[in-house]
Amino acid sequence: MPQPEIVPADQPASRRPLWLLWSIATILLWGVWGLVSKIASDGVDAYTNQLLYTLGILPLLLFVGLHLRKRPDSRPNQRRGIFWAFLTGILGGVGNLAFFQALVKGGAASIVAPVTALFPMVTVLLALIFLRERLGRRQWAGLALAFVAIYLLSI
Amino acid sequence: MPIWLTFAILALVFWGITGVTQKLATNRITSERSFLWFCWAMVALSAVVLLFHHAGWKLATPVLIAAIAGGALNGLGAWTSFRALESGGKASIVISLISLYPLLTVVLAVTFLHEHLTLTQTAGALTAIAAAILISLEG
Repeated sequence: MPQPEIVPADQPASRRPLWLLWSIATILLWGVWGLVSKIASDGVDAYTNQLLYTLGILPLLLFVGLHLRKRPDSRPNQRRGIFWAFLTGILGGVGNLAFFQALVKGGAASIVAPVTALFPMVTVLLALIFLRERLGRRQWAGLALAFVAIYLLSI
Repeated sequence: MPIWLTFAILALVFWGITGVTQKLATNRITSERSFLWFCWAMVALSAVVLLFHHAGWKLATPVLIAAIAGGALNGLGAWTSFRALESGGKASIVISLISLYPLLTVVLAVTFLHEHLTLTQTAGALTAIAAAILISLEG
């Protein structure tokens, strides 16, 4: 569970918290990703796009791999954790193929990006059914809105 | 329903399942280690694609750069999102803030690719972004 950031008393009050800067960086990176994916999809099929996408992710894999070699983790049940992480990658990759295919088949980036960003609706529904997690009012409202959004975009 | 929307919904279903498998992974290993194995899985999947798909490598340079940049941007985005959560950001705030990323894609696509949205599509896209934010809020 992430803990709230403790800001030292001598730090200027106007200083942006680090988590906000990382969050903004994420918005910028993923926001531009939607744009470049559409540019790529106009000249390449979904499968080749996934191959090139993986080429792009390789330097990061190398960086994180080298970084983790210095920080061994001795927690138990690692194999099971690795299994789930690997499965996440496979499912994520198949999702990527569908995302690229949506763009190749004429979907506008300005519509495909908001639709696919609705993926947490599936996560919360699965968590509700299989992990028996409870949903709050706002999450129920979000789910209802998600269906409205898909309907609006399908007409 | 247009075919592209079917594929977009398929993508959101697969990515949605990863929300659960990711949680099962990070209950047992760190987010960094989970990310490493996520990347290895991408490599494995690409190896399978390479075996069965005849990739055409005569690509225009901007397309090639855009596709490779896509992987780097998406991967870096995943990494910065982990950093946001590890830097003390409340999960519900960080995730709902990050859910705004399609808004940037909409602005960029309309500006640089001259995509045109009808009124209904604009309403749908904005409703989708609002829905994603609400879903990420607890309570």
